[in-house]
Amino acid sequence: MLTANEIRKVVAERTAHQRGTGKKVVDVREEMEHLEEKGEIIIHRIRAVNRPVELHTLFGWTKQIPTDRLWHHKSCGQCGNIPGYPSSLLWLMNETGRTYLNEPHQTSCTAWNYHGTATSNPVALAAVAARNFHRAYETDHFPLIHCGTSYGDYKEMRKLLVENATVRTKVRDVLRKMGRDLVIPEEIVHYSEWVHAMTPELVARQKLPLSGVIATVHEPCHYYKMVPEDAVYDEAVYSGQRPAVPSGILMALGATVADYSTWYDCCGFGFRHILSEREFSRSFANLRKIRPMIEEAHADVAITSDTGCVTTLDKSQWIGKTHGLEYMLPVLSDVQFAALALGAHPYKIAQVHWHSSSAERLMTKMGIDWQAAKAEFREYLKALQSGAQPELLHPAHGEIEKFFAINKGQVLPDEAVTPAAPTATSGAGPGGRS
Amino acid sequence: MNPILVLGAGPAGLSAASELASLGAPTILVERESFLGGNPIRWHYSLLAPDLKPAEEVIGALVKKVQADARIERHLSTTLEKAEVGAKGYRVTLKTADTSEIRDVSAVVLATGFDHFDSRRKYEYGYGRFPDVIDFKEFELMLHENKVVRPSDGRVPQRIAWILCVGSRDVQVGNPWCCRLGCAVSIKQAVEVRQKHPEVDAYVYYMDIRTYGLWEDLYWKSMQEYGVKFIRGRIGAVTPAEGGGRLLATGEDTILSRPTEVPFDMIVLASGMEPSAGTKQVAALFGVPVGPEGFLTPQLTDLNPVDSGLPGLFLAGAATGPKAIPDAVTEGMGAALRAFQYARS
Amino acid sequence: MSIVANLPRRTLSLSEEEAARPVAMHLTGRQRLSSEERTLSEKIFEEFRSDPRHHEFVLGCLNCGECTTGCPAARFYDFSPREMLQIAANGDATTLWDAMQEKIWACCQCYTCNMRCRFGNDIAGIISVMRELSVYHGLEATRRTLAPFGRSLTLLMTVGTQVSSDMIQPDFFRDWGPFATGSDKVWQVGADVMRRAIPTDVLQTTRSAWEVSVQTSLELFRIYEETGVLDMLRGLDPDLTEMLVDIIEERREEFQEARERFADEIAGMKGPVATFQG
Ligand code: SF4
Ligand code: SF4
Ligand code: SF4
Repeated sequence: MLTANEIRKVVAERTAHQRGTGKKVVDVREEMEHLEEKGEIIIHRIRAVNRPVELHTLFGWTKQIPTDRLWHHKSCGQCGNIPGYPSSLLWLMNETGRTYLNEPHQTSCTAWNYHGTATSNPVALAAVAARNFHRAYETDHFPLIHCGTSYGDYKEMRKLLVENATVRTKVRDVLRKMGRDLVIPEEIVHYSEWVHAMTPELVARQKLPLSGVIATVHEPCHYYKMVPEDAVYDEAVYSGQRPAVPSGILMALGATVADYSTWYDCCGFGFRHILSEREFSRSFANLRKIRPMIEEAHADVAITSDTGCVTTLDKSQWIGKTHGLEYMLPVLSDVQFAALALGAHPYKIAQVHWHSSSAERLMTKMGIDWQAAKAEFREYLKALQSGAQPELLHPAHGEIEKFFAINKGQVLPDEAVTPAAPTATSGAGPGGRS
Repeated sequence: MNPILVLGAGPAGLSAASELASLGAPTILVERESFLGGNPIRWHYSLLAPDLKPAEEVIGALVKKVQADARIERHLSTTLEKAEVGAKGYRVTLKTADTSEIRDVSAVVLATGFDHFDSRRKYEYGYGRFPDVIDFKEFELMLHENKVVRPSDGRVPQRIAWILCVGSRDVQVGNPWCCRLGCAVSIKQAVEVRQKHPEVDAYVYYMDIRTYGLWEDLYWKSMQEYGVKFIRGRIGAVTPAEGGGRLLATGEDTILSRPTEVPFDMIVLASGMEPSAGTKQVAALFGVPVGPEGFLTPQLTDLNPVDSGLPGLFLAGAATGPKAIPDAVTEGMGAALRAFQYARS
Repeated sequence: MSIVANLPRRTLSLSEEEAARPVAMHLTGRQRLSSEERTLSEKIFEEFRSDPRHHEFVLGCLNCGECTTGCPAARFYDFSPREMLQIAANGDATTLWDAMQEKIWACCQCYTCNMRCRFGNDIAGIISVMRELSVYHGLEATRRTLAPFGRSLTLLMTVGTQVSSDMIQPDFFRDWGPFATGSDKVWQVGADVMRRAIPTDVLQTTRSAWEVSVQTSLELFRIYEETGVLDMLRGLDPDLTEMLVDIIEERREEFQEARERFADEIAGMKGPVATFQG
């Protein structure tokens, strides 16, 4: 019997042939090397300081996952609605002694807007991606993408930039006008891949046993349906037949990951729909996702790894009671769930109070004294109200950083303050400005 | 003359071996399984399309012929471990669980066949998840044993769906080719069910019906005489039906351009044909060119479909692409003749 | 066989073909369109078919319907990715025009169709191409569809994030329940305090998803200017666009002032901070 990885290698070869002139499944990373040799792009490489871990992707290719010295590429919806999502991730990094930058010098990928309203175009999307890539590169921190859509979009944009010389030239020109250059990261890395790579370290720090918890996973569409060949698969998770993230960490933490028939369905977010067609979003989320999770899998919690999915699955349930759908299944991101299991404060760190579907019943099952934590948080809020300084996971940014894309606030002890200028100097490549 | 080696004892290999023996050539027949007959016997096919004759009767006759022929040296549970070009023909190493034997052969017929597609790879259909979603080779076994029941609870199903082209004509799983037989076999199964259990509803979901040539008759009869229902469009999702027990097959009726949702007791997948593990192995061992699909490529697909183009190496059956039994048998004969000519020259 | 082969054959003359055309137009409903609409629809059709992505995304179709079955939008709207693909592959100016009125906006851009499509089409992508054209040409239906997005477009264009916590207002998001705003009666403090209780300073703002430095937002706006996004938006909503340009002008001034104010700190720094002028 072939393993799933072996089967997929064969599939990759055949698919590459079949699509012929259309969409070839080629490993863009090989093409990137050629482009760099020609001086067309700079590859932001994963180095030893990034402490990489090797994982496998859909076709059995290897993917290096940097686990240290990371540049947080936040998700625009995550921070507005589910702040516990990024804060849990930062907390996990602190716990495991990983260094990072979490800067105000990042734009969103703007793909929410593109997929929602189409008031953009691929060249603009590619330029936005490359602008953020360059910012990460000049700080010498490797980009870690928080959002499924940003991740999907950046995978598409990386492919576009590598495969299309016209777009490449155009984007390079735009970037040079702002003193930047065309940098493409060696890998596009989703934070859940970091979690998967970090599994042993996280499990070693686990405080609460989760054997009694039934979790259902919603696999974010843009994680594995966009540029499928870059998504991470693992023989140990569903025999490599489904993406390894975020299920892998839940299994490793000892939760029961229960299957349900519509696992591959979308959540109903729809980009445009979640704002202006919410009847659609909530119908889809409740009927196609939450209901099967409850009725087929008897879930205690739904776990996912994308901003839009957490939002849709969580916020859509409250109104369900008008149709007799009283589920109130807590919906958390994998990192919130993992942080709770590792003993994070449910309100100060996991920020579960932003969620519409209460996590209290789940927390009881996990053995968390949430009443006490809630009381403590209430005190904390009062203190903040009367002017106390907030507790932060990393040093605050300075005044100058409100204006300039430099880093003063979060500089690591032995780091330079000024950003590093790009190093290479060949003609069409880095350094030269038009 | 050194013996001629036939690899694979399915319809093509059996046919080649028996033909070689009748030409007077010493023949070695090697089969990795412990029995003769290939996939039809391995999976206990029931009736064969299009004539609805029992598989055991058809293949059984061929098996008996080979078994009865003293000129054919049979090696079951044996694989080919090594092949080197010899002075004339090949020097091959035959391996069983505990023996290893080197033989000189004057020519080789590759009749290594196909494997059924593993339907778990098309997860939308729930194969491997719902016990009542089964593969059509598993359904053949049920028909063969005259026991058409739901694996989940042993009840006789009231409504069965067949989904065609599972793992065929699909770049997502890397198999863009047509399996050639899925339509005929599925329709045959539906007819067989309706013959035995007229009260069972039979639906076939299809993109195209490819009962090519004279087999079209089966397709027509299935509607005229057996009332099999055909819906054009594929099922895209299988979920538990409300009310318990049944499976809801959701798809698009692409003729009426509207969604279809039908609860079924059982769903049968016409899983495609892929080059078998043995076919891949011999391709690598002998250096036979393979096409993008992974099947062996004859030197001339039109005028000489049984020559590999390599000296003393001949091809027969589904190793070169999906094929019906009669075609495989014919190719076995052709390859035997070409191998005999080569060995004697 | 031979009888058929011997039957006299004739081909249509050019004028007969002309005469047949209104019939075809009638069949595709072309007569419904005003002459301006007809001209515009033909222009759009031309642009659509000559977009390089058309060739790359639309490969062919077996009409299996799996894209439509997996499509969340098809479950709730009169919409089908198979139909979209058919129109993209074989449609004419009118069918494309019709699809571009409402239908293209039903799509969730979830990419399920792409992952399903056994022919390897990029259906989500070709729908985006149609949408881009509908924005670019400022189609009436598109304006209507995108009317509620003024606020998030403003955020997007000026700071590059799409939502902010102060957009999640209880009266507009009543269906999300009392916890969505994070500051309901349970906690009895204001939204600003709830934000300050997030343990990272960049997220403590209520006005965008996170704090964005002026340089960063100006770089983003430069990208929009250079890549035609601003022009697209102008076609859709000229007033909004002018307002955005004004906001950015102010921010550019703010940036110049900051350059003077922080001259000592940034002196000697390399990279974009040294060269970017706003
Ligand atoms: S023979 Fe029928 S079932 Fe098999 S791939 Fe061809 S069309 Fe599909
Ligand atoms: S991307 Fe659009 S068309 Fe495709 S499945 Fe999702 S909603 Fe349907
Ligand atoms: S999935 Fe692909 S081949 Fe099937 S109907 Fe849709 S576009 Fe056509």
